[in-house]
Amino acid sequence: MADSPSKILKENIWYSNPVFIQILGICSTLAVTNNLINTVIMTVGLMFVTGFTNVTVSLLKNLIPRKVRMIVQTLIIAFYVIIVDILLRAYLPDVSKALGPYVGLIITNCIIMGRAEAFAQSNGPLLSFWDGITSGLGYMWVLMIIAFVRELLGFGTLFGMSVLPEGFTHWTIMVMAPSAFFLLGTFIWISKTIMLKNEGGRK
Amino acid sequence: MKKDGIIYTVVFSFIIAFLFVFLLSLAYGATKEKVAENARITEAKAYLSAAGIEIDDPGKIESAFKKAFPSFNEKAPYNTTTIDSKKIIVSPFSGNGLWGTITGVIAVTADLKRMVGLAIISHNETPGLGGRIEEKWFLDQFRGESISAKIEVSRGGGSGDTDPDNSKVDSITGASRTSSAIEVIVNGKIDELKKMIGGTN
Repeated sequence: MADSPSKILKENIWYSNPVFIQILGICSTLAVTNNLINTVIMTVGLMFVTGFTNVTVSLLKNLIPRKVRMIVQTLIIAFYVIIVDILLRAYLPDVSKALGPYVGLIITNCIIMGRAEAFAQSNGPLLSFWDGITSGLGYMWVLMIIAFVRELLGFGTLFGMSVLPEGFTHWTIMVMAPSAFFLLGTFIWISKTIMLKNEGGRK
Repeated sequence: MKKDGIIYTVVFSFIIAFLFVFLLSLAYGATKEKVAENARITEAKAYLSAAGIEIDDPGKIESAFKKAFPSFNEKAPYNTTTIDSKKIIVSPFSGNGLWGTITGVIAVTADLKRMVGLAIISHNETPGLGGRIEEKWFLDQFRGESISAKIEVSRGGGSGDTDPDNSKVDSITGASRTSSAIEVIVNGKIDELKKMIGGTN
């Protein structure tokens, strides 16, 4: 069960990426990716929550009765999410306003629960922390690419700065949630093709 | 004690819930003042922006607010002040958006003939769609808009309606319901102000 840190990294970033292989956290993938700044903050928040939830679950794993295991994990996740929310509200009010209800919705992101249950329950705290952070990274880079395309075509901006010429017609569909489905589908298609090609090469 | 026994489970659940909630309330208590201050600044900024004064430095907002609204009474339904030797009326509003309550500030001239400006304090509209009601291009369309007739938020050319005399505002693409909510809220508020101050026009 004890995987090496580099193997965990590879698994979480590519081979069993939470978004395009495990198809977890899709709700937020659709919701926040029309804007790069919101996406960065949301994914950093998720990284933080996944990392620390994993540590906490891993530390407490021998104390938690099996019957209430899930509910305790949810409690720990909710704890860290509210901490993120409080910190944003106090120190980054503009971001907190922009993200609104999405911060609270980190709680429902299946990646966190999935990692706590599948990894932290049976591994040490340090390795669990690493697993949480890399899962967050795996989530982050996919969302960043989707957000890059959506913000560029939907608003003609990147990180809020205008990059496309004035006359560019904005693609309103890119601002709306359905476009994330198209982009995610395309993303899965491309990544799977690359993955299958690599496997074929190995044989 | 057996780890899967009922007593252990209950005691453990109680302790862990207590511990985490306790830590949360500590964090909440520690940031409470900062959060309240942020809320005050947001509100003051909205009043200033409705009155046509844009200030971005959060440190300067409170002093600018005191200067612009020297006799501000937050409990009153509306406040009057004089900016650039023009008498204006500012009033907070709140109404139903598509997903939740939209609150903000409206400023009109004292004769209730034109709007001075509109600012949004909080809303829960869809980010990127209805959420764009707080963007400058949308709110700027209300500057100086004639309110002798009802304001109409409708589909326009797509780049904003800059004519202040036609009582028309270009709505947001993909956010028709938020746009019409704004129309209802703003017109309702203007009617309310006209009724309250009616004698003066």
